[in-house]
Amino acid sequence: MPFAPSDMALIVPELFLTAAGLVLLVAATAVSRAQEKQIALWSIASLVVTGFLLAVPASAGAGARSAFGGMFAADGYSLFFKVLILAAGVVTILFSLRFVGDSPYPGGEYYGLLLFATVGMMFMVSGTHLISIYVALELMALSQYVLAGYFKRETKSIEAAAKYFVLGAFSSGVLLYGISLVFGATGSLSLAAVSRSIVLGPKSPLLVLGIILVACGLFFKIASAPFHVWAPDVYEGAPTPISAFFAVGPKLAAYAIFARIFFSGFGHNSSEWTVIIAASSALTMVVGNVGALMQQNVKRMLGYSSIGHAGYALLGLLAYGSKDFGLSSILIYLTAYALMNLGAFGLVVLLETKGYAGESVDDFNGLAKKNPLAAGVMVLFLLSLAGIPPTAGFVGKYLLFSAAMQAGWFWLTLLAVLMSAVSLFYYFRIVRAMYLVEGTGELRWREEPAVTVAILACAALTLFLGVYPQPLIALAKACLLS
Amino acid sequence: MNPATMSAAAAAGVSVMSVAPSAYLVVGTILFAIGLAGALLKRNALSIFLSIELMMNAVNLLFLTYARMRGDAAGQMVVFFVIAIAAAEAAIGLAIFVALFRARQTVDVDKINFLKW
Amino acid sequence: MTESAPFDLLGADILTTLVFLPSIGGLLLALVPGNAKNAIRAVGLLFSGATLAVSALLLQRFDPRVVGIESFLVDRHWIPRFGIRYLMGIDGLSLSLILLTTVLSVCVLLVACGQKIDRWKGYVAAFLFLETGMLGSLVALDAILFYVFWEVMLIPMYFIIGIWGGKRRIYATMKFVLFTLAGSLLMLVGILFLGGVHAQATHFQSFSLLDWIPAAASGAWHLSIRQENFLFWAFALAFLVKVPLFPLHTWLPDAHVEAPTGGSVILAGVLLKLGTYGLLRFALPLFPGATFRFTPFIAALALIGIVYGAWVAAAQKDMKKLVAYSSVSHLALVVLGIVAGNAAAISGAMFQMIGHGLTTGLLFLLVGVLYERRHTREMSDYGGVATHVPVTTTLFVIAALGSVGLPGLNGFVGEFLILGGVFQRSVVWCAIASTGLILGAIYLLTLVQKVFWGPDRNSANRGLTDINGWELAGALPLVAGIVWFGVAPAPLLNLVRTSADFVVQIAHLRMVP
Repeated sequence: MPFAPSDMALIVPELFLTAAGLVLLVAATAVSRAQEKQIALWSIASLVVTGFLLAVPASAGAGARSAFGGMFAADGYSLFFKVLILAAGVVTILFSLRFVGDSPYPGGEYYGLLLFATVGMMFMVSGTHLISIYVALELMALSQYVLAGYFKRETKSIEAAAKYFVLGAFSSGVLLYGISLVFGATGSLSLAAVSRSIVLGPKSPLLVLGIILVACGLFFKIASAPFHVWAPDVYEGAPTPISAFFAVGPKLAAYAIFARIFFSGFGHNSSEWTVIIAASSALTMVVGNVGALMQQNVKRMLGYSSIGHAGYALLGLLAYGSKDFGLSSILIYLTAYALMNLGAFGLVVLLETKGYAGESVDDFNGLAKKNPLAAGVMVLFLLSLAGIPPTAGFVGKYLLFSAAMQAGWFWLTLLAVLMSAVSLFYYFRIVRAMYLVEGTGELRWREEPAVTVAILACAALTLFLGVYPQPLIALAKACLLS
Repeated sequence: MNPATMSAAAAAGVSVMSVAPSAYLVVGTILFAIGLAGALLKRNALSIFLSIELMMNAVNLLFLTYARMRGDAAGQMVVFFVIAIAAAEAAIGLAIFVALFRARQTVDVDKINFLKW
Repeated sequence: MTESAPFDLLGADILTTLVFLPSIGGLLLALVPGNAKNAIRAVGLLFSGATLAVSALLLQRFDPRVVGIESFLVDRHWIPRFGIRYLMGIDGLSLSLILLTTVLSVCVLLVACGQKIDRWKGYVAAFLFLETGMLGSLVALDAILFYVFWEVMLIPMYFIIGIWGGKRRIYATMKFVLFTLAGSLLMLVGILFLGGVHAQATHFQSFSLLDWIPAAASGAWHLSIRQENFLFWAFALAFLVKVPLFPLHTWLPDAHVEAPTGGSVILAGVLLKLGTYGLLRFALPLFPGATFRFTPFIAALALIGIVYGAWVAAAQKDMKKLVAYSSVSHLALVVLGIVAGNAAAISGAMFQMIGHGLTTGLLFLLVGVLYERRHTREMSDYGGVATHVPVTTTLFVIAALGSVGLPGLNGFVGEFLILGGVFQRSVVWCAIASTGLILGAIYLLTLVQKVFWGPDRNSANRGLTDINGWELAGALPLVAGIVWFGVAPAPLLNLVRTSADFVVQIAHLRMVP
């Protein structure tokens, strides 16, 4: 595999972010607790600069290019996800400023790890070779294990880390085994070559087993049933800004590789894998939405709800027959998903005080009277999560459902719609707490400009894309896999 | 072992016990199954972790075998990555278990139930 | 109208103005401090009043002879990639319901001005946003746009019942939302499915009724009977839940009883009509064959609903519950008229939709007036209050007589037309429906008798004050409508006749195999 020097130019944004992460990690050892805010601001700056480095070649009209012997692709598809992931990173850091600053744990390394996880996701979404994807995925996952347990003396946090680690490592083992079977059956690891040999070669049971195991490994990463058990625990136990990040960043990256591996790698075998994905999708929607019904902790409820959303998003993968429609509906849905989840978790960040207090549904009681703006914005996010117009969540869900319908998955769409009705029940419990129940005692609520700005930006976009989704739809169409 | 090396060895008068590549595949698969069973059945977090390491190494064996069977060095390259990642994973995983032990005085997954498992 | 034409707010885009004017008022309220009661009132009345004026302008410009639903057409791109348009237009039916909506919205706010309501700003804003949702549903011709407005309506109503409602408000509002949402999500599946069918049949993505109705009429979709049945029920269930038809009605008594006065008035006056409107606008023209197949079934449910609603209403002790069950009965009659399928019955049903909005709206409003003063809705707590509240009594009697169908008031015209049309279809249906109406006369007159006449037993009623100026201002337009449409039904009938003929014509194209 010959590497041209020009290949390096394509990964400049990733290289920059890696360097920034390393510098900040080292710098963090030298700063006092009061100066940690500086580190956070520098991390935001480096994420923004990375965004610029990505945007410059894209705006110069550079088309899709491949580098490192087909291991890395710089195309519109990866760019779409990278921008979303960077934005999620910025929002997470804004959420963390006070949250980590007030905690008894030095926060310097926190930001470095966040940047490393982001680099991992960026490489993931650009990966076009099973091994580059795997390595990037591990870079992301290893940083995440540490972040989940960052509040290491809080039992909940370290337990979340341990569970996440055990199940995550287990799932990468399964994924790796699947990759080895694919390698054994096709003799190659690059997605393009795998796809070629699937077309040319005979159908082998080894390959089908490999595809199934790769799917199982990825089901873990997107938290879809029956491999979802870690998600509610980890979302509940991790520090809230990290839960917000977990709910968005890794999911986006995992969906990106899921779609890329299955559409451009295993696409020609679609008759074998659609059934498995359909089954997982159905199970995921039911488990996530029914599980959420019983939760009292808002973070845990959002964890279950995001399992439900993973089930909806799988519908887009099933629309392999009308691939462009299915894929663009996934892109749009995930954008909406990122906005509304970041926003909803952000409000939990504002409500939360030390030691995980303020996470229960009851802690939202009477919020509408104390802070009408916050309550109104939360209603917007919850409506969007439930998929009620005029919000971005509705647009995304609508497109996914119609893609699945067009692909002939009628019963699955019907189930998804039914589960949307169920989801309204638990989302509206929070609305009820905020508006219909009188608050008892004083409401824990802190004003925090950084978080407020981030939340309002998410809210504005959620509403705007709900009313006028055309720009996003056009963008998604331009960013499909070629 | 490919025929070229075998005939070279035979010419040199060395007796060669040849093991079919499929045998390595069987061993790899059995090792993976043992690891999988251990990861699912063991209650001690360290044992689970060791089982997962076993799964990874079983995969390494499979990759090497396939690389040999297909004469493709990509499979060998993968093994280096996997070994490196497994080392990093061990470092992080053990650190998490140590912190867990400090917080809970146990690494038994049945007792790690502060969060609903 | 071209895609890129500039907005002409009172000309080509008058429907846009109509729909969004109230919500602009709702947004403006955000800038008004919550304790500036008078300013909030001014904004609320100004914007709902202006919307009423716009709808009056529509009426003045409307030509009732035009066939079809394209009057005042607004057609702009919304999501061109998927063929979803910002498409609005009206016909006589939607125009008359628009007028009902704008009038009731003003009345509700006027009444609220005369009563003590906490979280006043939120109350006014909720009604303004609700008005946008209702008007949007009435003018939307694109199925997706319709769905969006249909769901938007749900949110303010959730808050209206949930925040300003009675003791069991949380239960009631959740039940209301879940019933309605379950129905409408099914409709979404229907819309998606139909969009796919249409794209496949015509190679052109569209969710516009202007494309769908001709395609349905010409049989271009080639739906199998199973598909058509499914689609019909996907749409019809959403609407029948809203109506609500027996046995889907159980949310209604809870919602009505717990809702504040304004909420009950709008719920009974407009939201229920949107169910029957949806049947006439979507279910019937798009799936005439399935409608024809299921007519006996739906008619049976409607007949059960008429008698059951009236029977249960007669047993109630709570005034609001009584009026709520009377709505179940009356709306079932409207559904019966719709499925009877001839011009007389359908135009009667349309007429009755307006008529019921006025009479039941007024009944709820006056019950609210009494409740505001005595904080009880039990009939036995009243009795002989006519001497204390002569004006309220007069208005209530007019509303009750209008509702039972006294000749000279609006109820008579609508019921007479429906029964006449139903008679042409089936004598048995007509006979059963008439029984319901007789029961209706009994329970409503009993209500009047128990509350307003009879011995003045309860001393707590002595200090009862009569309806105040604001409340009266809100009630009088409804009284005027009840009397006017009873004495001179022709203008309203002219308005809806073309729509009714249109529906019948489309239905008959496919209904008769």
